[in-house]
Amino acid sequence: MTEERFMSTATSAAVVQEAERFGRKPGRRVDEIVRAGTLAEGVYELVIRDAYVARNAKPAQFVNLYPADASLLLPRPFGVAEVTGDEVTLIYQVAGAGTRQFTQLAAGDAVDVLGPLGKPFDLDKSANYVLVGGGLGIPPVMLAAQALSVRDDVTVTTAFGYRNERFADDLVAQYVDAPHSITNEEGNVIDLLDSIVPELEAAAKAGRPPIVLSCGPTPMMKAVAQWGGRHGAEVQLSLEARMGCGYGACVACVVDTPQGRLKVCKDGPVFTSEQLGWVV
Amino acid sequence: MTATVRPSEPMNVIEPHEWRHGTVVAGVKWKNPVGTASGTFQLDACGDYYDVTQMGAICTKGVSPVPWEGNPGPRIAESPAGMVNSVGLQNPGVDHYLADELPKLKELGALVITNVAGHSDEDYAEVTAKLADSDADMLEINVSCPNVSHGGMSVGTDPATLSRLIGRLRKMTDKPMIVKLSPNVTDIVTIAHAAVDAGADALSLINTLVGMRIDIDTGKPIMANRTGGVSGPAVLPIGLGFVWRVRQAIPDIPIIGIGGIDSGEKALEYLYAGANAVEVGAAALTDPTAPMRVARELDDLLDSRPDLAAKLAQGKSW
Repeated sequence: MTEERFMSTATSAAVVQEAERFGRKPGRRVDEIVRAGTLAEGVYELVIRDAYVARNAKPAQFVNLYPADASLLLPRPFGVAEVTGDEVTLIYQVAGAGTRQFTQLAAGDAVDVLGPLGKPFDLDKSANYVLVGGGLGIPPVMLAAQALSVRDDVTVTTAFGYRNERFADDLVAQYVDAPHSITNEEGNVIDLLDSIVPELEAAAKAGRPPIVLSCGPTPMMKAVAQWGGRHGAEVQLSLEARMGCGYGACVACVVDTPQGRLKVCKDGPVFTSEQLGWVV
Repeated sequence: MTATVRPSEPMNVIEPHEWRHGTVVAGVKWKNPVGTASGTFQLDACGDYYDVTQMGAICTKGVSPVPWEGNPGPRIAESPAGMVNSVGLQNPGVDHYLADELPKLKELGALVITNVAGHSDEDYAEVTAKLADSDADMLEINVSCPNVSHGGMSVGTDPATLSRLIGRLRKMTDKPMIVKLSPNVTDIVTIAHAAVDAGADALSLINTLVGMRIDIDTGKPIMANRTGGVSGPAVLPIGLGFVWRVRQAIPDIPIIGIGGIDSGEKALEYLYAGANAVEVGAAALTDPTAPMRVARELDDLLDSRPDLAAKLAQGKSW
């Protein structure tokens, strides 16, 4: 009788060490959970210790987490929200059985991880980066705020849209020059963007034209792409998709674009609104 | 469900390895009996994680005569210990393959099985003709994909249709020709005989099983194509049963066993069922290094099974 195990995995350090020695990316490995908790109703935080991800993750990149229950085969992708030393913060909501299992994890437990994965935001230009996040699309743009905060040639503006509790405002406060947020009751992120147009125009006149970085529900991102078109702002969108492998092998998570079907996990998750044909 | 941090152990899946136990499939020597399964390998994705030349064979994604855009999304759903996919053989076409992926794989030194896809006999013939003079080491004729409306499984589930196609392709190439069989048939032995009698040099099985998942909030199928192909650990006993039945019926045909392999132990089960080699598919989607790890584990397991190892090295099966 074959031993009934699904995967043999080794701890992060051993896998990363061997991969780096031979010039490869590290495969699936086991990370320790440093902290697990709740940020708001239905919004969970998981902090894992993974020095490789901490060192390499760029804004909008994601990691695969694998449920410990081997009957749930596929990875769940999570955008990296923040990096502190060798600790990596992930923020998520329960979407099904797999993510529900992650909410049971506690400090000292282990979780299987792969990554960082995907194509990050392009942050090369000197600009006013306007981070537009909706709901659980906020965490993936949080890392952009952190990464940009160390540069003196950029301005960081946020326009976060929450269902109700403003769970991320305090977490990014130290990284943001011009924080803005709105809840469903008050309006949507397009209302919020419209209200800060004078501020954005002033920054543009001072040599910092707006570049929008957005993640959230698809209808919101399409509206953001069109808002960017109306206001002459470059827009980069980080898409969500039902993924298979997460690293470009299975071609399950495609998005239809004018250039054909592209892989969200490897050609993206970041695409410009032009690439997606979302600018009207 | 929680897990605890397991002790650190070196994986030794990336470092170069002196393979001790090879196999021979239709006259082609593999350095170990483990290949990648079609549809789960892309050089620009998998090659980042391990040295592809260390695999017994690299079986590429299906190659069609012209670029195919595949099926609309969503294309994947999870199932208990498995997954259902309906990618639909999205690929940039044979000309791109011959100009890009194949030369890259051969330059690295990989042993390459090119998976041939088509919507019609003409499609398969066009791809086979273009590959006949290529550097591909072996061809695998995909007559078993459940996610295309014409060709694929519709060919591989009818003995007369299959026989006509394989007979035609046989005359076009001297390359070792593997026919990949579908489990979605009433009698696998009839189909296997049809392929072998028409000139197949080897058989690979199983391709995925037709299946679906439904979203109970909407009452609609999760995948846009509605049905797809099931793979993963859940199909292991099914693949083993199919391989064993074909081996019992046709003692000498080389067989590549596929279905639910995610460890050296499970690969070994296939070898004892009568396979000459195996391919790792879904497991690679849950860990990019899984095919390499399966090969390393199997190499260790064959050390203590010299009779089986000797048969494989001679191109024989258990």
